[in-house]
Amino acid sequence: MTAIATPPLAASAGIAADLEAVAGRLRRVTVVVGGRGQGAGAGIVWRPDGLVVTNAHVARGAVGVTLADGRRLRATLVGRDPGRDLAALALPVRDLEAAAVDDGTDLRVGQLVVAVGHPFGLAGALSVGVLHRGPTGREDPDGGWLVADLRLAPGNSGGPLADERGRVLGVNAMIHGGLALAVPSVAVQRFLRRAGLVAP
Amino acid sequence: METLLSLSNDLAGAVERAARAVVAVHARPRLASTGVHWRPGVVVTADHTVRTDDDLRVTRPDGRTVPATLAGRDPATDLAVLRVADLAGPPAERGDPARLRVGHVVLAVGHGPRASWGVVSTLGEAWRTWRGGEIDRLIRLDLTLYPGFSGGPLVDARGDVVGLVTSGLARQLELAVPASTVERVVEALLATGRVARGYLGIGLQPVMLPEALRPVVPGAGEQGLIVVNVEPAGPAATAGILLGDVLVALDGRAVGDTDAVQGVVAGRPIGSAVTVSLVRAGAPVQLSVAIGERPAGKR
Repeated sequence: MTAIATPPLAASAGIAADLEAVAGRLRRVTVVVGGRGQGAGAGIVWRPDGLVVTNAHVARGAVGVTLADGRRLRATLVGRDPGRDLAALALPVRDLEAAAVDDGTDLRVGQLVVAVGHPFGLAGALSVGVLHRGPTGREDPDGGWLVADLRLAPGNSGGPLADERGRVLGVNAMIHGGLALAVPSVAVQRFLRRAGLVAP
Repeated sequence: METLLSLSNDLAGAVERAARAVVAVHARPRLASTGVHWRPGVVVTADHTVRTDDDLRVTRPDGRTVPATLAGRDPATDLAVLRVADLAGPPAERGDPARLRVGHVVLAVGHGPRASWGVVSTLGEAWRTWRGGEIDRLIRLDLTLYPGFSGGPLVDARGDVVGLVTSGLARQLELAVPASTVERVVEALLATGRVARGYLGIGLQPVMLPEALRPVVPGAGEQGLIVVNVEPAGPAATAGILLGDVLVALDGRAVGDTDAVQGVVAGRPIGSAVTVSLVRAGAPVQLSVAIGERPAGKR
């Protein structure tokens, strides 16, 4: 453990400031998908030209999306994979701030992970937890989940699971017995390539 | 982002460190539990997860599954000890549970390894489990014990093992047995296969002592304990304690409830003597009782 030669509360104040910064970063790239309140899910701005990723169970067709800056736009569904619980939406905007994405090859069990979403209708709520286990499903390139010891609620679906720097590791999709399950970002990239939305 | 990264690295590092001594314990159908490599060749786990005495196996951190034998079990503290011949790697590095503070960030590590994080929620003095086991310190945690986590280590932010987590000591409470208690029980189980618990063979009910009676017996308090049952041939019967006697003190210390009696007796060496001060038909009597061993299966 690194020795901290600073007053006792400095470390926690530093952590609080860092969490606030990470939350801010993630909120700017997280959108509300669908109706407001309890029926809404979340989505992640994947590219500045308006490509948004969310869960298939959150977006089944054209849907209203609210950006972080409050603008409400109509999104078209441009890709959907119910098996992997992913959907892609196109927004009629340019130059959005997009998520920084990490392919998750250096993840360590116990490291901090954060989620931003809209649980219980609260916009942009932050949850903090740790990576519960090593990524599952390495044998199956299309399978696998990131599993976190992290408390989520239904409005988190489609929102980002990120590391301590705010780099997106996956898309939150499911809750199971206190654990949060996210579709890994490499699976998202595969889905987008198959849908012809990103270059191979 | 430095302090958050620092915390994240510390936690991941703590899991890696502790995981070198974490095993999966296969001692019941379906769900493996977790165990800690406590001393060379010795694994400690949660007793309630050991449902069979034979064909026990343990999966090492390197993934190999090897046979294990049951060295002993103590349901009172929910601990069981296994001997594992083929267990490579160093035993767990231990920390001092007395240095824990409420609010300290801690981890529970399950076989896999899997991690659950949280904080120390409550700390308290030594307490007795419902089966009479003495736990040196009350440690309650605000973290989730996932299926299969019982028997695994409670880890501080350095990666030192400060206790064993189990769901078997209290319902709906995440508790840890401090490393000091684990060490004591492991020692006893390796030596004799069980933890001998002292007992008197006597049933007691609290009664108020009349004022006039208190000066009669040195050390008496406001309450005493009337004897409502004497186990035939038990330690109390052998010493001459009779139905209707009112116990007022043990070794000169006033006892007013059964917990106080358990507190003196359960932890004492078998065969050691305890002086019992009692009131019989209004007159003081002192008897010496040799503490016996609680028969298996009796509360």
